[in-house]
Amino acid sequence: MVALATATVCWMLSASGAAQGGPGQTPTPRAMAPIDLTGYWVSLITDDWRWRMVTPPKGDALYLPVNDEGRRVAEQWDPAKDEAAGEACRAYGAGGIMHLPGRLHITWESDTTLKVETDTGQQTRLFRFGGSQPPSGEATWQGFSVATWELSAGGRRGRGAAPASRPGTSLRVDTSHMRPGYYRRNGVPYGSKATMTEWFATVTEPDGNTYLLVTKMLEDLQYMNAPYVRTVQFKKQNDGTGWNPMPCSTR
Amino acid sequence: MKHTAGAWRFRGVVLTMLALATPASAQVDLTGEWSVVRAEDNVGNTELGDWVGIPMTEASRLRSAAWDASIQTLPEWQCRPHGSAYISRGPSALKIWKEVDAVSRETTAWHLEWLRSVDRPVYMDGRRHPSPNAPYTWAGFSTGEWVGDMLRIRVTHLKEEYLKRDGVWHSDKIELTQYLIRRGDYLTFLVIAYDPVYLSEPLVRSTEYRLNLNQQIPPYPCTVVTEVDRPKGVVPHYLPGTNNDITWFSRRYGIPMEVVTAGAANMYPEIRSRIPRSLGGFGPEPAPPPAPPRGQRPAARAPMIQPPPQGEIEVLPVRGSIYVLFGAGANIVASVGNDGVLLVDSGQAAMTDKVLAALGEVQREWVRRNAPKGLGWGAETRSSVAHRHVTAPPKPIRYIVNTSAASDHVGGNEKLRNAGRTFTGGNVTGNIADAGEGAAILAHEQVLKRLATPPAGQTPAPFDAQPTDTYYTAYMKLSHFFNGEGVQLVHVPKAHSDGDSIVYFRGNDVIALGELMATERYPMFDVEKGGSINGIIDGLNGVLDLAIPEFRLEGGTMMVPGHGRIVDSGDVAYYRDMLTIIRDRVQDLIAKELTLDEVKAARPAADYDPEYGDAPEWTSDMFIEAVYKSLGGGKPLPRRRPR
Repeated sequence: MVALATATVCWMLSASGAAQGGPGQTPTPRAMAPIDLTGYWVSLITDDWRWRMVTPPKGDALYLPVNDEGRRVAEQWDPAKDEAAGEACRAYGAGGIMHLPGRLHITWESDTTLKVETDTGQQTRLFRFGGSQPPSGEATWQGFSVATWELSAGGRRGRGAAPASRPGTSLRVDTSHMRPGYYRRNGVPYGSKATMTEWFATVTEPDGNTYLLVTKMLEDLQYMNAPYVRTVQFKKQNDGTGWNPMPCSTR
Repeated sequence: MKHTAGAWRFRGVVLTMLALATPASAQVDLTGEWSVVRAEDNVGNTELGDWVGIPMTEASRLRSAAWDASIQTLPEWQCRPHGSAYISRGPSALKIWKEVDAVSRETTAWHLEWLRSVDRPVYMDGRRHPSPNAPYTWAGFSTGEWVGDMLRIRVTHLKEEYLKRDGVWHSDKIELTQYLIRRGDYLTFLVIAYDPVYLSEPLVRSTEYRLNLNQQIPPYPCTVVTEVDRPKGVVPHYLPGTNNDITWFSRRYGIPMEVVTAGAANMYPEIRSRIPRSLGGFGPEPAPPPAPPRGQRPAARAPMIQPPPQGEIEVLPVRGSIYVLFGAGANIVASVGNDGVLLVDSGQAAMTDKVLAALGEVQREWVRRNAPKGLGWGAETRSSVAHRHVTAPPKPIRYIVNTSAASDHVGGNEKLRNAGRTFTGGNVTGNIADAGEGAAILAHEQVLKRLATPPAGQTPAPFDAQPTDTYYTAYMKLSHFFNGEGVQLVHVPKAHSDGDSIVYFRGNDVIALGELMATERYPMFDVEKGGSINGIIDGLNGVLDLAIPEFRLEGGTMMVPGHGRIVDSGDVAYYRDMLTIIRDRVQDLIAKELTLDEVKAARPAADYDPEYGDAPEWTSDMFIEAVYKSLGGGKPLPRRRPR
């Protein structure tokens, strides 16, 4: 029943017509957003500090599902070479960007597109609701992302919640067409056919803090022997304090 | 694909139907065996001095610097499980199952159990968290509720334990919020930890699990053995400034110690300005980080458990016929049963009416719980019917035991004694005719001396408030069972004073500790009256020798300190460890010929002060001064070093 409900709701919200909105019509994905992801968020680097806050040594693929080919490529990581080739943003692609320390600024670019900007690497991800077709051109660092609301099957609405608010709901984002990049900053690779599913959810605590949880499942037959599944956390900020745009760096 | 208005209306109807059809509370099935997805989040043992990513307070860093892994060879440490704040960080498999009410078919509890942990029920039936005076455990007390498809769990009543296995600690003030989020065959486990003692901000961590149809979590047998021969009472630890291992992580990875020790700041991106560029940072920058203010405390947050009302008596059961009355001054332990009432300590004089009222309630409850058994006696011999027609009045207070002569232990003696009636006989003082006219008061003879012959200028305690039966040997036993068990007073020499007793209820396996322990402050002792830090520590070690835990170093022999919550041997061991460590530090400073003021300035209890040092009646300074004096501080040493 839960799966049926979730699937049905996802289907309804993912249809292109949902973008139309207007009086008497089905609300747009923005209007019926069950959780508010917008605002500034700062990453919290805790247990995995040694692999995220600093760049691990070359070849450190500890705890990553790399296959032999992935390990071989990781051993060949050459930051200078990446930089010379104009590939300084390899660690800032969709497969790795959410793990880098930094801040997110999430806004609605339109009624059907949620925009995630990062200060580190100055990247922009666009989560498109509806049935848009992926572009036929070159793959990009951030790839092509399709978004759907995964409404929970039930759950009490939080006290004082807005009519559309449904705590416990997730935003699902499916990303493909990514340019090959690194999901660990020290050159551990994902390939051009990698795909990624992410879930964005929020939890609010009695002390007033709201946290954004981003769970990702990165899959790549070329360099991985299993999906890479992780959750990283961000804390909501009141404003853009600390927003510090920095270009991509290979170090 | 085009979508007509009719199609959208249809979808709207479906959406409405779904909303109506779904239950008030989501019920995602979490049951099953879950294997941890090994990742950077759950690396198991961390390296020494790996303090990054944790919002450690100054006290936390000091405590971690004192931590010596060989402490885990102590008998009181060997079979401990991982606690709820840590277990999901280790690479342990998880099993989840649920309890379902047979009639309503509601899920009344989820159970979570990891390898090397204990079963943790998460109650879904709306019950409240217990009083802060209730026992604390490794698993803690958990309640849950659904937030959409997420299960949110609140955890309280956790024993202190590690957040990382390299000696990064949380206190027993910690509270957790946990979220379980299932996405297909994956489960995300999020933990938000709040610790007003050792964390300056919430600590947020997560772990992923994957459903595993072929997993069966094995048992984890453990037997306590003597792993290291060492003199009794030794607690391994590093004295301040002697632990070179805490720089290991920094040295191995080239991360500056100022980053490693930055506390909450090293969770945020700005810390990169202090990390060398060769490691992916932007630093180092010339300006050092601002030092955290001394005694830094986290922002105030409403705790999940609330204390009982001030000025009221709270009664909690310990085991069998043993109860504790909180709120009358020192804790009062009560044995309640067919023989009447035995009290350990009598609280403050002003609270005795409320104590008597509370005891009446306890006795009525005891009578209800111990109502006559059902049919079954022989038809031609006796009948149980007569018993069913009688509601027995509360039995009198027969004995009061004073664990010391402190005013909040003996203040209610007179009134409570006169409200009771003892058994005739025994070591009766005064006129034999008085023997049945009040409860007997038992204590070490030094208590009688202090109450009857106080220093010049002070008034003796009223005759009826003074002990009637005293002892001067190592122990005193009641000469008969009371409420079905033996009761033993054991003298603890030179502890709080020179007249201390602990009281051992041997059938219920409960020990009243008196002033040996207070869970909210350092132990109070009076050097002028014969007290000493070594006596306190020896007393606690003696208690640990008596106590037998039930499972995984918790439960079993339950103990009631003079002040604070109910404890077990795990809690007592922590308290013993703390006092031993502080004692060793002060002893070391005395050996270096520091004056009392210099010792206080060295803050030898700084890592424990946030939890124990704030009690106005017994501050950290007062405690350190007492420790200093009891160890002979300030006296000339046999051989003075040249200055």
